[in-house]
Parts: sequence; structure tokens; C-alpha cells
Amino acid sequence: MAVRSDDWETLLTAANAGDAKAYAKFLLTVAPILRGVVKAKGGKLGEAECEDIVQDVLLAVHLKRHTWHPGAPVRPWLYAITRYKVVDAFRARGGRVYLPIEEFVEHLASDSGPDPTDAADMAKMIGMLDSRSALIVRKIGIEGASVGETGQALGMSEGAVRVALHRAMKALAILRERHLK
Amino acid sequence: MKTDDLIRTLAADAVGPRIGRTTLMLHLILSLAAALGVVWVVLGFRADLPASLVTPVSALRIVLTAGLGFAAVRLAIGLSRPEGRDQARLWPLAVIGAVALGLLVWAYATTPAEARQMATVGKTMVTCLVTIPLLSILPVASLLAMLRRGATTAPALAGFVAGLAGSGFAAAIYALHCTEDSPLFYVTWYGLAIMSVAVFSSAWGARLLRW
Repeated sequence: MAVRSDDWETLLTAANAGDAKAYAKFLLTVAPILRGVVKAKGGKLGEAECEDIVQDVLLAVHLKRHTWHPGAPVRPWLYAITRYKVVDAFRARGGRVYLPIEEFVEHLASDSGPDPTDAADMAKMIGMLDSRSALIVRKIGIEGASVGETGQALGMSEGAVRVALHRAMKALAILRERHLK
Repeated sequence: MKTDDLIRTLAADAVGPRIGRTTLMLHLILSLAAALGVVWVVLGFRADLPASLVTPVSALRIVLTAGLGFAAVRLAIGLSRPEGRDQARLWPLAVIGAVALGLLVWAYATTPAEARQMATVGKTMVTCLVTIPLLSILPVASLLAMLRRGATTAPALAGFVAGLAGSGFAAAIYALHCTEDSPLFYVTWYGLAIMSVAVFSSAWGARLLRW
């Protein structure tokens, strides 16, 4: 089930225009590939730790998705982000890793099934957010509530939930970066 | 939190703020305009500015430094994208450096031995070494801010290039005031000022531009 490159471009273009469904599909499509790269490179790391790194990469892709230029191919962009975050994560865990861009191709097939474990880092970091942000992230992420439902439950407007969610994602990335050091 | 849960959360945050590149370039242009204003009001342009602009050896100061500024800004824009590190072309910078060094050698050869020291030290060395870095602060800061909004995968190199760009333009603006026309002076001291700013900016970049 090879996913063609032009599908990635179409999905990410729609995602950057605000299409949440296309965006979810894009992330779900690339996550197994990122997982393949991380697992192939992080042989000594446990599955849960690898999944932490995959989540790091996904969060980075999310916060930097505006740096992809519509019309440019997605792969070099995505692989550059992945290499940067993976090298960073492995260095923080005491290992060195050499990850040339060309090697990404060979990892494409190394897919893995569902998530092996609950990744521990992200839960810890969410716990370090202020309580309302943590609540919003848990409601949407774990309970699967929509932005609208979350707003109703917390007595907030949809716009306010969106702003809070975006800030929470940025805060999570900063917390994780600090945690690595 | 499972990865699928994270993806659901990220997808809910699908509408992100978009910052146009033109806005970011506007900050650089404004900071250069401010530097130009400072040189004009505080230091004053050189009295023979129109004549100096058509004297090749004098005009080359501006051509080289502004050329460095444009080449480095272009490179910085490329480096602000994750894949930019793999696509970065450093040769325009090398060409400008080589032309400057060639000019230095040429000036050394054509300046009489007894006049070389005076031509090199000049009369305004300290002013030059202080003013160019000061004029660089805002342009370099605006470029570092642009790079921070982007996603460079080469933080130190991107910081270095931002330093070259900002101080290159700053030197071009300073040249409108400065009357030292010997390449022995300007390649040496403009070069030293520009390189110092670039090294500082690289150290800043290595810290500021991580993500």
C-alpha cells in the first residue's frame, strides 16, 4: 500500500488551508514511516522510547508545517524535520546517530502496526501544562471530543478553545525540548 | 498518550497562524532604513558622495558589502526551511570573499611600500570597528527573528549567515559616511567588523534557533 508522493502534497495543502480531516489523514499516513525510521535507527531503545521520539517528530511537524511551501515536494521537507528531531533525541539519550537523507527510502516499507505502548513522556508533559490546557488536550486527544464539545464542557467559545489548544501544543514542544536537555 | 490520540489533538489544531514572508522582509527593510537614518543624521554622508559613487575603487566598497548582504539574505531565507541545509549554495559568499581578497592583494601591490601602513590603519579604524557592529544589531535581529519563525536544521550556520547579511548591509550604509577608499583599509577593517558580527550571530543562532 505504497502512498504516492502527490497524495502527501495534496493532503498537506488541504491541511494547511485548515482541513482537519486531511491533516489527520496526512499525519496518520506519515506516522508509520517515521516510526520505521526511528526504530531502524534506535535499535537499543525500547519501543516506548521510540514512540516518544515519533511523537516528538509529529509535534515538530505540526508546529513547523507553515515552513512547507505549497508546490514543493513534501518528502525532503518531512525527512529534514525528522532527521533533525531524531538526531536531537538520540543525542539527548546519549547516543550518536548518522542519518543521511538517502536512507529514508529504505525505511519506507518498515511499517509497524498499532502503537506498542502508551508513550510515557507526552503524558508527563501534559501533566505539566496549566490545568485548563491539560484538560483541553485530554478531552480532544484521549476522549476524542470535538473542539465544539470541549468548549461547551468548559464554558468556552470555540475560538477560545482553538487558541488555548494551539498554545498548549507550543508549550508541549518547549517542555519536551527542555526535558531533553 | 497514544500516538493516534496525539494526532487527533494536532488535527484539531489545524488552523494555524500564517505569517507572510513579505511581512518578515518588511522588518529587515525597516531596520536598514533606521540604520541609514542614523548614519545620515548622526554621522552625515561624506561630502563627495556623488563623486565617490562613480570612482570604481570607492564604489566597490558598497558593491561588495551590499552584494554580500543580498547573497546572505537569500541564503538565510533558504536556510529557514528544514530542507534548506541540503540545498544551501555557499559559493556566492565565497566569490565575494575571493573578490575582496583579490582587491586587497591588488591594493598591496599598487600602493608604494612607504604608504601601505598609513593606508591600512587609516584615520577612522576605531569608528569603523564600532559603528558597523552597532548598525548591524537591528538588521541581524530581524533576520534571526525570521529564522526563528522558520525551522532551520543548521542553527549555527543560519546564525552566521544572518550575521553576514545584517553586517554586510550595515557596512554598505556605513560606507556612505566613511571616506577611507583604500582596499587596504576597507577590506581589512570592514571585513573584520563583518566577521565579528557573523561569529557572534552564529553563537546566538546556535542557541536561539533550536526547536
